[in-house]
Amino acid sequence: MKKKDKVDYVKNGKRLDGRKVDELRPIKIEAGVLQRADGSAYLEWGQNKVLVAVYGPREALPKHIQNPYRALVNYNYRMATFSVPDRKSPKPGRREIEISKVSGEALERAIFLERFPNTTIDVFVEILDSNAGTRVAALSAASVALADAGIPMRDLVSAVGVGKAGGEVILDLNKAEEDAPDAVDMPIAMLPRTKEIVLLQMDGLFTKKEWQKSMKLAEKGCEQVYEAQREALRKKFLEAEKEDKKSKKAGDQ
Amino acid sequence: MEKETRRKKIVVPGELVTEERKRIGSHVFVDEGKVYADSLGISYPDSSTASVVPLHGKYIPGRNDLIVGIISNETFNSYIVDINSIYHSFISKDSVRHELKRGSIISAIIQNVDEINEADLEDIRVFFGGEVIEVSPVKVPRIIGKNGSMLNVLKDNTGCNLIVGRNGWVWAKDGNLGLLVKAIRLIERESHLSDLTNKVEAFLKDEKGETKK
Repeated sequence: MKKKDKVDYVKNGKRLDGRKVDELRPIKIEAGVLQRADGSAYLEWGQNKVLVAVYGPREALPKHIQNPYRALVNYNYRMATFSVPDRKSPKPGRREIEISKVSGEALERAIFLERFPNTTIDVFVEILDSNAGTRVAALSAASVALADAGIPMRDLVSAVGVGKAGGEVILDLNKAEEDAPDAVDMPIAMLPRTKEIVLLQMDGLFTKKEWQKSMKLAEKGCEQVYEAQREALRKKFLEAEKEDKKSKKAGDQ
Repeated sequence: MEKETRRKKIVVPGELVTEERKRIGSHVFVDEGKVYADSLGISYPDSSTASVVPLHGKYIPGRNDLIVGIISNETFNSYIVDINSIYHSFISKDSVRHELKRGSIISAIIQNVDEINEADLEDIRVFFGGEVIEVSPVKVPRIIGKNGSMLNVLKDNTGCNLIVGRNGWVWAKDGNLGLLVKAIRLIERESHLSDLTNKVEAFLKDEKGETKK
């Protein structure tokens, strides 16, 4: 690349899409969107769109996979064929299988598995549209869906991506930033109450200082994600309460 | 009757319920001396027990629960009963006088639950006819009400015979079943609001009045 067409990933404190260095893309979460599932959630995070369904705890079959001491978490991360610019093969690839494994393990840390021996909790994640950071979006949505299913948990799982583009440590990278020549991409998932890290992957190289800075950013980001998740869950109650007030008012008149 | 003034707080999993020393109720856990919620629900900060009333959840059998079950299969000397939980239960053919088929409805009391949540049943009663209405198991206490107050309202105003299973299955026969289902859906939808019994009673009388017109 010539020096001329070098992209400024951060200019005057603003990024390519006008965000600040420590600003998330807008998040919208809705809980309980699927009627037939035990729990479900729909999440929009920037351009990412994720639909999650949770079933269970239910008897794990075939019987030999059952664990008499705890429940299994079967996390299924799949990308829709139309979720990327070029059509994606619907066959689960290396990447999807890996993400399913690590994300499932992240959720396992949060769920009280020992209360449901010999069972499985199935989490099905479908990525409908993607623009970098789908695994953190999926994980955040999945924990909302689990809470919606009434599965006992130690905490919600909040996840966020941090990284580096153009030499600057930034929060919640989008696709353009992820494709920077010096890009580092680091998805992190935390239990917000204890700050316990349940998922951490990294692609690229950080210096020690950059690492420390990015961890601070990630913590901040996770807190914001947690707020969005909490609001989504609380909304279910508040809506019913509003309806009640309306009907009471109508009754007074 | 519940008072309107009772303070309540919506909690999500992992949210602090109380820092005080209180009796530990259901759907909470203790970490470093503080009490946290383990599911999405409502906690009452003024109550002497720290507990959460969950919004959703699966039925986990408990001892002495009255449940409604449906026969799902038959073996040489037993019936397999679906009790809307993680596992099915068994009843011996010797314990029922009638011949049952797939889809027969029974009620039973849970005699014992083992460490993997499988339940043994006793006191089996067989129902002929009627319907099973599905509700969320966590809402069952609201359908029964304090000392059965809600149940009486439902029975009196719809004329149905009712058995409410703790597992979220309600057996109903005779009377105005359509109205009963409507009332139960109302209870389910607004189960976290106070003064529900009066509201349901008003709703039922209202509906009945309209049909008479």
